[in-house]
Amino acid sequence: MARTSSTLLRDGVPFLREKQMEAEAQLLLEEYAQAHDWRIAAPVPVEEIIELHLKLAFAIEDLRALLSVDDVLGAIWFTEKEVRVDVRLDPSANPSSLSRYRFTLAHEAGHWRLHRQYYQEDRNQGKLFDGRGQPAFICRSSMKPPAEWQADFFAGCMLMPRNVVRSAWQDWRGNLDPVAVQQLPAVTISTDSKENENATLERFCRSLAGQFEVSAEAMRIRLENPRFLLREVPNTLF
Amino acid sequence: MTDRQKTFGQVLRARRIAKGYSLRKFAELVDVSPTYLSQVERDKVESPPTVERLNRMADVLGESRDEFVSFAGRVPEDLPRIIQSRPDKFPELLRTTKGLKPDQLRELIERAKEMKKKED
Repeated sequence: MARTSSTLLRDGVPFLREKQMEAEAQLLLEEYAQAHDWRIAAPVPVEEIIELHLKLAFAIEDLRALLSVDDVLGAIWFTEKEVRVDVRLDPSANPSSLSRYRFTLAHEAGHWRLHRQYYQEDRNQGKLFDGRGQPAFICRSSMKPPAEWQADFFAGCMLMPRNVVRSAWQDWRGNLDPVAVQQLPAVTISTDSKENENATLERFCRSLAGQFEVSAEAMRIRLENPRFLLREVPNTLF
Repeated sequence: MTDRQKTFGQVLRARRIAKGYSLRKFAELVDVSPTYLSQVERDKVESPPTVERLNRMADVLGESRDEFVSFAGRVPEDLPRIIQSRPDKFPELLRTTKGLKPDQLRELIERAKEMKKKED
């Protein structure tokens, strides 16, 4: 990935534009597609991309015990070229965790593609933010510093490639028109209107989420950018 | 099977990757959980997988069952019965042939096959 002149954020990674991150995710999919005779489609084979293409050693482990972090989902070791996912996400033991398992893997692929070079530079300059044997990034469900947010964004683009989302929307809806939350049967789960909007949109896009093997939340976030799902009815819609 | 300096887990992982199987896919094919397979590949299990599981792994990977099972530290299922069927001869046969070169062993095996054919 081309390095841009950018300000390094607190946790040692630069600001990256969404377009840059999406292009990097798309590039990774194209590399894998070319090398493995695959046509980019849903669901994206994220496990194969991690192990067969990026050649990262992958393991499922009790990371909560290993790292003493309660809400850990996954971690990546750059020097050792290793990705590990917490045992609680094993989809064979808990099928409902499949989407989170896949998203965590795509998230770690994001760290590998977006942040590895900065880690290497810091290492070379003796400004290591981790040492050998320690993970470069511990990915948790609660804390989202900039590097984690970037890896999440990358994961969304990787698992739900823009063109595939577009085709799926077209097949499902019969057109490319956006849908606004006000057009859907409202779901009420709390007194918070934003939470209710999210729940309404997520119920609507659940079947599409199944097609991509992602959570309804991840699907809803992706459909809001590009703007297939809207928070307000635009003037031009009707 | 080569790679004697590597552990069974390392070899298993390398063969799985070479065949293009993800951890989860391979686990499904050999009917174990991905977490268990991950532990086996990292040599974090107290004892090797059962012979039945090792046979399934060997079949999916196109490896020799005998070599795969032995490399994992198990004994192929039929061997104890065979040895116990002639306790006066098979232990002696194994001890006597121990140390022979691979081509000498091959020659012995071929001779034994011919002897069996004649009896049939």
